[in-house]
Amino acid sequence: MRSPMAEFLDYTQFVLAPQVLNGLSLGVAVILMALGLTIIFGLLDVINMAHGEFYAIGAFLALALGALGLNFWILLALVPLLMVPLGWLTERALIQRVFHSRERHILTLLLTFGFGMILEDVLKLVFGANTQKPPMPITGGTEILGVFLPNYRLFLILFGAALILAVWVAVFRTRLGAMVRAAAYDKDMASSLGVPVRAVYSGTFAFGVALAGLSGVLLAPIYSVFPTMGRDFILMAFTVVIVGGMGSIQGAVVAGILLTQVQAISSLYISPVWTDPLVFGIMVMVLMVRPQGLFGRLGNA
Amino acid sequence: MLIDRAPAPTLPRARDAVHAIAVLFFTAALALGALGWWAGDSFYLRLATEALIFAGLAMSVDILLGYTGLLSLGQALWFGVGAYTSAVILRDVAASFWLAMGATLVVTTLAGTVGGLIANRVKGVYFALITFGLAQVVAKVVYNTRELGASDGLIGVPEITIPLGFATVDAANPAGFFLLVLALVALLYAGLAYLMDAPFGRTLIAIRANEKRVPFLGFNPLVHRMLAYVLAANVAALAGALYPMLRGFVSPELLFFQTSGNAVITVIVGGVGTLIGPVVGSVLLTALRSVVGTWTEHHLIVIGVLFMLSVVVMPKGLVGAVRPWLQRRLSGSESPR
Repeated sequence: MRSPMAEFLDYTQFVLAPQVLNGLSLGVAVILMALGLTIIFGLLDVINMAHGEFYAIGAFLALALGALGLNFWILLALVPLLMVPLGWLTERALIQRVFHSRERHILTLLLTFGFGMILEDVLKLVFGANTQKPPMPITGGTEILGVFLPNYRLFLILFGAALILAVWVAVFRTRLGAMVRAAAYDKDMASSLGVPVRAVYSGTFAFGVALAGLSGVLLAPIYSVFPTMGRDFILMAFTVVIVGGMGSIQGAVVAGILLTQVQAISSLYISPVWTDPLVFGIMVMVLMVRPQGLFGRLGNA
Repeated sequence: MLIDRAPAPTLPRARDAVHAIAVLFFTAALALGALGWWAGDSFYLRLATEALIFAGLAMSVDILLGYTGLLSLGQALWFGVGAYTSAVILRDVAASFWLAMGATLVVTTLAGTVGGLIANRVKGVYFALITFGLAQVVAKVVYNTRELGASDGLIGVPEITIPLGFATVDAANPAGFFLLVLALVALLYAGLAYLMDAPFGRTLIAIRANEKRVPFLGFNPLVHRMLAYVLAANVAALAGALYPMLRGFVSPELLFFQTSGNAVITVIVGGVGTLIGPVVGSVLLTALRSVVGTWTEHHLIVIGVLFMLSVVVMPKGLVGAVRPWLQRRLSGSESPR
């Protein structure tokens, strides 16, 4: 007869801990997506509905360039760089066109929604609608404190955490970040103090798009790559952004970890079908108590 | 927006132009329907019926976006609620048109009140995202619920006959069912157009223009937003309830974002805040999709480009673009008065 304590330890080691770590690896990718969304919203007041498609483009670029023989480590740097001009152009050609209109919230949302639709169909046109899977760049697994973890997931958690830290440092501890925060706080004042506000807008949008592309590269080996892959993922990212507070970087990180953990752990006990309603229910509850989300927004911190 | 630009006396005339377009549209639809009946066509009549059904969904988006200033990215939820309620009633309870429609209204009013209480906690872009999320979550649950047919949807909805008192319409008869749906959409349009000109609609327009001022005029914006939400949900659900009668099945795709997104595109291209714009837009976009669909499966690119052009170049949509010209014509002929 085994003691309840030993059973609990076994449960923790073989069921709970792997699930928590799996959730964490998804969590960092969701946070990277949400960071892009929230920074773009915090600065430009734009909901980027095409964010999921930028994520898909990142994954497809990784797939295509990987098939050409490029190494995964090169892709990790190259794909975000390729996403930058795309984001920059999108901001200049689409967002700026309606940016000064009275209803820019809804107009930019509609424009990016239309653009996302086109991008998705272009991906279908170029790569076909079938599901594809790039090879796993890091194979094998490691045992940590008796918990077995695939190496790639481990890498994802560490790399993602480092990246999130880097984004935080860039926004809150560099001159460039100060410019972005100043422009978010008061664009006229920032402009009169010599901040090139227009370039900051485009650059920030491109940065968010690059982050989305990077999450695409990172998640492609775990999940499959297909043209509509952004759709499921974007809902989670939006939920994280809303719960954390639109425009808040800390909020995206905290809510991202919280919600993906809720999703991961609850799926042990209830059917995975009901984890989405659960996460969504949490969002509704947060909105009831704090409609502005858990944290304040960029620039006002 | 409407209210601060147009002083009160010119408003009825502004509606005149829109009503003229509506009369024109329904007359043309009647004529084309007669042509289809005479030619013994069934494919185009059924396609046109589907366009009219989705016009109902688009009108419901317009109530929220064009009048109340709330963008719903999940209106397919209510279309789907109507479609599934109607399918379940027709298949498992009784093959009665009126029972299906009545049940749809009851279910949607109850569920819509709950949904409205959640969505109306917030405004603006948050409202868009919440409605988007609500629809996604329900779609996912339906997609995985075996009792509702899961990913296959509900098939085998019986063909029904619809007693109207003075006549009986067979839903399997393309021309007859087209006429019935056309009449329902026309009734829906007339009712909504009346309601939007009544004090209730004016209050919605006031909310859209400046919600903070509405309480100072003695109206409760939250109550009106709730009413608008439940009304829009019911309009979408009634349209959805017609879908299984036309196609004989419902599938979870009806609840997906594609459906909601299409409705928003329809409203923007057709003309936001006009009610008839969404109807015209639905017919035009269905026609376009069917034409483009014959030479490429990538019609999303075409629709997407058209939609984006419409947002940038013609933000008031087709009806909004034609309206000033028509208004001038109408007031020109009335000027001797």
